[in-house]
Amino acid sequence: MKIFSNTFFVLIIISLCSFPFYINEYYLHNAIIIICFAVLALSWDLAARAGILSLAHAAFFGLGGYTSALLMKYFSLPVPLCFTAAGIFGSLVAVLLGFVTLRLSGLHFAIGTMAFTMLLQVLALHFKDFTGGAMGISIPMLFDGSRIPSYFLLIAVLTVLLICSTLLQRSSFYLAYTSIRTNESTAAVLGVNTNFIKISLFSLSSFFASITGAIYFSYTSSIIPYEAFSLDITVSSIVMAVFGGLFSTIGPIIGAFFLKMIEEYLRGQFTSGHMILYGLILIFAVLVMPQGILGVIKKWKKLFKS
Amino acid sequence: MEYTQLIAQAVVSGLLKAGIYSLVAIGMALSLGVVKILNLAHGDFIMLAQYLSIFIFAQMGLDPLIAAPIVFIIFAIFGFGIFKGLIRFAIKTTELNQLLLTFGLSIFLQNTILMMIGADPKTIFVSYRNVSLSFLGTEFGFGRLIAFLIALIILFALFYILKNTKFGKCTRAVSQNIEGAYLIGIEAERIQMVAFGLSIAIAALGGSMLSIILSAHPTIGLEFTIKSLAIVVVAGFGNIYGVIWASAVLGILESMVSTLLPGGTGLSGGVFFLLIFVFLIMAPIIRKR
Repeated sequence: MKIFSNTFFVLIIISLCSFPFYINEYYLHNAIIIICFAVLALSWDLAARAGILSLAHAAFFGLGGYTSALLMKYFSLPVPLCFTAAGIFGSLVAVLLGFVTLRLSGLHFAIGTMAFTMLLQVLALHFKDFTGGAMGISIPMLFDGSRIPSYFLLIAVLTVLLICSTLLQRSSFYLAYTSIRTNESTAAVLGVNTNFIKISLFSLSSFFASITGAIYFSYTSSIIPYEAFSLDITVSSIVMAVFGGLFSTIGPIIGAFFLKMIEEYLRGQFTSGHMILYGLILIFAVLVMPQGILGVIKKWKKLFKS
Repeated sequence: MEYTQLIAQAVVSGLLKAGIYSLVAIGMALSLGVVKILNLAHGDFIMLAQYLSIFIFAQMGLDPLIAAPIVFIIFAIFGFGIFKGLIRFAIKTTELNQLLLTFGLSIFLQNTILMMIGADPKTIFVSYRNVSLSFLGTEFGFGRLIAFLIALIILFALFYILKNTKFGKCTRAVSQNIEGAYLIGIEAERIQMVAFGLSIAIAALGGSMLSIILSAHPTIGLEFTIKSLAIVVVAGFGNIYGVIWASAVLGILESMVSTLLPGGTGLSGGVFFLLIFVFLIMAPIIRKR
């Protein structure tokens, strides 16, 4: 079993590394978008493991994009520095936001973070001289518009995130954040430093969201407030995590892969109606398989064993 | 002198807006208080009601104000259906699943309208749409005044029902303690269904008032969801009586910002988000004292 899973793993890595050289630009573009959303979904899931129902994921996505875009525009810093700065700035903002809002309970926190996202959107639209208002900022293309290095850059980010997530799941942090998620006051009584763990997970999750935002908007070579701070980004990353299976490393990635494929297929089939089916899938997923695809697989495994 | 007049104008137009806001938000507060579910599709029912009133006006020539009872009944039945078909199953799940379910509903409704009718704003011109009145040097549209007065009547009717009838007492019991309500023999789920249908139907009334003031657009739903969310947060979660003053405060603040600040129309939306944020953070601190 162990050898089998290792071979499987190696095969996946080889195919991920080789297939950009065999497919055309359209599929490569889709692959890049899928990896972007996989990073977003998995990083949202990192925070959700401590019971943080954040609706501010798009805020960090956009914040990262704007930070790197503004740094490139006004200071013309080298691109890697801009990306790193975007990630660090995003995680610092997350620490501040966490200090202010993390004592709120689930639903209140969700509403507060949603308000934070929309507030950033209003601000980005209002300060036209600085952010370009609704027209946004145009960014020099990542790797001069060549897609294969962008793909590998995003694969690298995803790999780092995967390693982080796996290490967290195997360390003693796992027990700490799971106990916070199930019952925060009990966890605090048992000696878990709840605020420290929640804030550090939240800022780690925001770090990845910001860095993905910086890379994504540099890849699409423009950034506008309606796209950067849209609720759609938050919701789709949450939906992918839920659809795949919450609180696991592989679940959100499976979810991102399936949902983006479905969305892209529907977009090709219907010109305007694809979002209707997306809404229906969301309702169906919540009602019928709240544990996600991984939950369904687990159920089947149990059925076959007995 | 001119400045005071501007402020007076802002207060009056803000108050008139607040009528509709409170109508919209009270539905959300009701469903949050009784069903304990935050309905992110709330604003989309307003949008649907707006389209329905416009459709009735275009097909039968019925004024939206006269057609309002029809819209009310249609949306009450619609709300019962949605409760029976969807919301009922989500009551016992996690908050995340509830949020996602209602957000999925919102995406579905918004895009269905977008596909069937299109993204162009639809407007109807009732005879009194452009009549404007003046009062102590401030000007406002006649349609807004009518909408405000009707909203007040509906709100007081709702308060009367909640305070004095048997249904109202049962509703308050369910919102205070659902197990207790079960124990004394209240059919809690039925009360929740009626309350949910009522919340949507009242929001739909807000939508039919809106159709004589604003053009209908598929994406107006999210805007109203967030506005009523802000009102509900400022009023205190599930507090139905607080909605009145909260919507007055928010309506006046919104029009103050949009008239008094330079470039304020873009910032007026930010008022709601800022207030949600500030009130959520301040609420635990205030409660401690």
